[in-house]
Amino acid sequence: MLTIIILTVAAVLILFLGFARQRGLILPVAMLALVASLVAMHYPEWTETSILTGMLHFDLTSFVLCILQFVFALCIIPFLHQFRQRGNEELGDITGLFLLALIGGMIMVSYQNFIMMFLGIEILSISMYVLAGADRRRITSNEAAIKYFIMGSFASAILLFGIGAIYASTGSLSFGNVLPGMDKFYQIGVLFVLSGLAFKIALVPFHFWAPDVYEGTPTIFTAIMSSIVKIAGFGALLQYLKLSSATLPEWVFWFLLLIALVTIVVGNIMAYNQTSVKRILAYSGIVQAGFILIAVLKITPQTEKILIYYLIAYGAASLITFLITHFVERQSGSDHLDSFGGLLKANPLLGILMIIALISLGGGPLTAGFMAKFLVLREAVGLGFLSLAFVALVAAVISVYYYFKIINAIASPSGDHSWSVSWRYNSVLLVLTLILILFGIAPSLVMMHI
Amino acid sequence: MIQFSYFMYLFLQFKINHYQLYNFKFDWIPGLKDSFHIAVDTMSLLPLLLVSLITVIVVLAASLIYEKRDSAYFGLIFLTIAGLNGFFMAQNPITFYLFFELTLIPVYFLVLKWGGPKRKKAVFTFFIYTVFGSFLLLAAIFYIYSFVGINLMTSWSFLYNNHFPVQHQYWMAIVFFIAFGIKAPVFPFHTWQVNLYEQADKPSVILIAALLSKMGVFGFLRFNFITQDVIPKLSFYLIVICVVGVVYGAVVAWRQTNLSRLLAYASMSHMSLLVAGTLTVYEEAYKGAIFQILAHGIAIAGLFFVADVFQRKTGSDNLDANSGMARVQPRFATYYFILVLAAIGLPLTSGFIGEFIMITNVTKFNKIAGAFAGLTIIYGAVYMLQCYQRSMFGKRHDERYQNFQLSLQEDYIFIVLTVLVIALGFFPSKWIDLTAYAIGQFGEYFKY
Repeated sequence: MLTIIILTVAAVLILFLGFARQRGLILPVAMLALVASLVAMHYPEWTETSILTGMLHFDLTSFVLCILQFVFALCIIPFLHQFRQRGNEELGDITGLFLLALIGGMIMVSYQNFIMMFLGIEILSISMYVLAGADRRRITSNEAAIKYFIMGSFASAILLFGIGAIYASTGSLSFGNVLPGMDKFYQIGVLFVLSGLAFKIALVPFHFWAPDVYEGTPTIFTAIMSSIVKIAGFGALLQYLKLSSATLPEWVFWFLLLIALVTIVVGNIMAYNQTSVKRILAYSGIVQAGFILIAVLKITPQTEKILIYYLIAYGAASLITFLITHFVERQSGSDHLDSFGGLLKANPLLGILMIIALISLGGGPLTAGFMAKFLVLREAVGLGFLSLAFVALVAAVISVYYYFKIINAIASPSGDHSWSVSWRYNSVLLVLTLILILFGIAPSLVMMHI
Repeated sequence: MIQFSYFMYLFLQFKINHYQLYNFKFDWIPGLKDSFHIAVDTMSLLPLLLVSLITVIVVLAASLIYEKRDSAYFGLIFLTIAGLNGFFMAQNPITFYLFFELTLIPVYFLVLKWGGPKRKKAVFTFFIYTVFGSFLLLAAIFYIYSFVGINLMTSWSFLYNNHFPVQHQYWMAIVFFIAFGIKAPVFPFHTWQVNLYEQADKPSVILIAALLSKMGVFGFLRFNFITQDVIPKLSFYLIVICVVGVVYGAVVAWRQTNLSRLLAYASMSHMSLLVAGTLTVYEEAYKGAIFQILAHGIAIAGLFFVADVFQRKTGSDNLDANSGMARVQPRFATYYFILVLAAIGLPLTSGFIGEFIMITNVTKFNKIAGAFAGLTIIYGAVYMLQCYQRSMFGKRHDERYQNFQLSLQEDYIFIVLTVLVIALGFFPSKWIDLTAYAIGQFGEYFKY
């Protein structure tokens, strides 16, 4: 509860700071608020605790997912003022909305009934719609915001319709005491709720918004979408599947399996011919979401750990790639593959970190991505789906192709510019890379503590 | 930096040679006991010796080209070496796979950054081929785990004793053949090889040709027993494919005009023979294979170093570019000749023993295949001697190589390699004994 209060107060304070034209104070206050809320989470009341009359409940998994979101947010906030090529008048609004989005993310991973689920998703989404259009003067950013908003609200409507259907057939908005009513209305409700959630995490066939929105949004917010929103989305999906596992119809398993398969295959095919790095990474995010979905097909304490592990591996790697893309875009004005040419020469550290992150996304050995993919595939084999594991493997091979397309561009000798970056930037990226490598070398040491 | 890395290497070698059963276990993957397990067993001893040896040669050869500030180059070389060490020491399939993949990435960047003009296409072909193979391998490993139980991390001998259903063994054997065949490379999967060997810089080619290609053969040695029930049925077809590769590589090598390309095809021919030998699953062939890994590694490393010297000193390793050199550079010509002889497989050089054992075993398996494989010695003599003749004798181009002198480092490399070639040729028995000891523990799995 304390965390939510801190974040809300800080968000309002930051909004006022924005009005008062104290822009220098905004980011320090935001950092401070995040650190304070991280500390507040460590109060003993926080694990295994229910707040708001039991509407939010934090168990270990949601606790870890919250901390994960906060840590990634801490990595992004120092660069929020660079969201636009020139000028940052709306910094107060942007930062405040970002903190509010984090509250939405917190609710999404810990809700106990449909109302809070919908509330969390909406708090997160509405903030993200605004952030997508933050660069008002660029037409692509406006396009992204409109697309995201229209399709997102459509998905929210579907979700809401699903909730309504479930309420109509069971007479309750909470998961715990749902009667095992398996009538058609209930099943339609489940289908719609799942579709709404799948939209938020951009699973095929609900993925059409992702590449366009990722491309148009200012890159620093794309980083948020690809890490924090994905974590929150999967947290919500996990929470829903976990809470209503007793009453879910049987086809849900096959539905998710089918979606995972289609996501992995289609995402790969679409990523194949892209030339914009942000689009490639968007499709790569779709494919990775398909992999993560395999982990939640059957929920046990073990698979929850795997989910967390995969989210850490994917979130850290995609944060690195998007932050570096953000940097390259600021320098060269474009996120086309060609503008990455010579990055390794212009700034060797960034080049190497980007390569490591891409190798991790592709599942190269000794990085967290390898172990994440391995664990997920082992899970698939453990479920008895050797063929699913095989398709995923083939997809992983294909995905290596487009990751290496970016790596080739980075390593190509074209261009003779020299780019330097601030120490803040380097240190954040180094920490994230360290996470990737540490988790890749000694996953068991890390997983013991989750 | 070079000094330091060289010292580190010596330290590493010391450890390898003295702790003969160096053993390291680590609960790497959560929920899997001992999932990371490397140990120096008797089977990996000779390959590890080769790795240590080639490390010195690659580092020395590279230090002639690159200055000390190219630390990234040496870093990548050592990452590859670390991967190779781990690969030969791996004691269960998942560790094996981890290192199998790990060697690929640094090599990719080595060639991409320091290769020749057409390196991009060459290295990308290599990459796609190898990744395809290794993912097939991973699929097979997943199948193995799904069969023996997901949480049972297994040692090699456990897997050898575990008889998988026969119809599954068929496709596993084919998958292994493709995965390791790409790495070796064997006949239908060889197209990445020539361009890569031509385009990559020579120290990395030494690394690839002498060590990475041996990974394929070593993979066969490790994995053949898993599919032991079907290997006798399949091996005829697989060996025929290999023998086709032997003849094809030799014939194509004959028509090459560039030393690197010629060596690439020659290497493919020899590796195909080696793979054919291991696929017979005879005890003798296994002994010979381990020995031949060492012998061929030394010979091919020396020959690529010759190509390196050509390229550095005269600017080209085309065969005709440097003709007539033997008169001007007799010492270099002698080294080169000894290495050529080893590649041909002349008696009393290291090449002879290994090839002889391979050919006898293939002949024992099937006379006609053996006859074709035996042609490799004749072909080898034809193309290697022709190559030597064209590059060292004939019309003189004094202006190209008048002034070059072998430096101390180059002399050192050549002396070490040629002495080893001759020593292995004269006294193979000790080495074969060592391999016999390695193979002895698997005696029960051999069919004949």
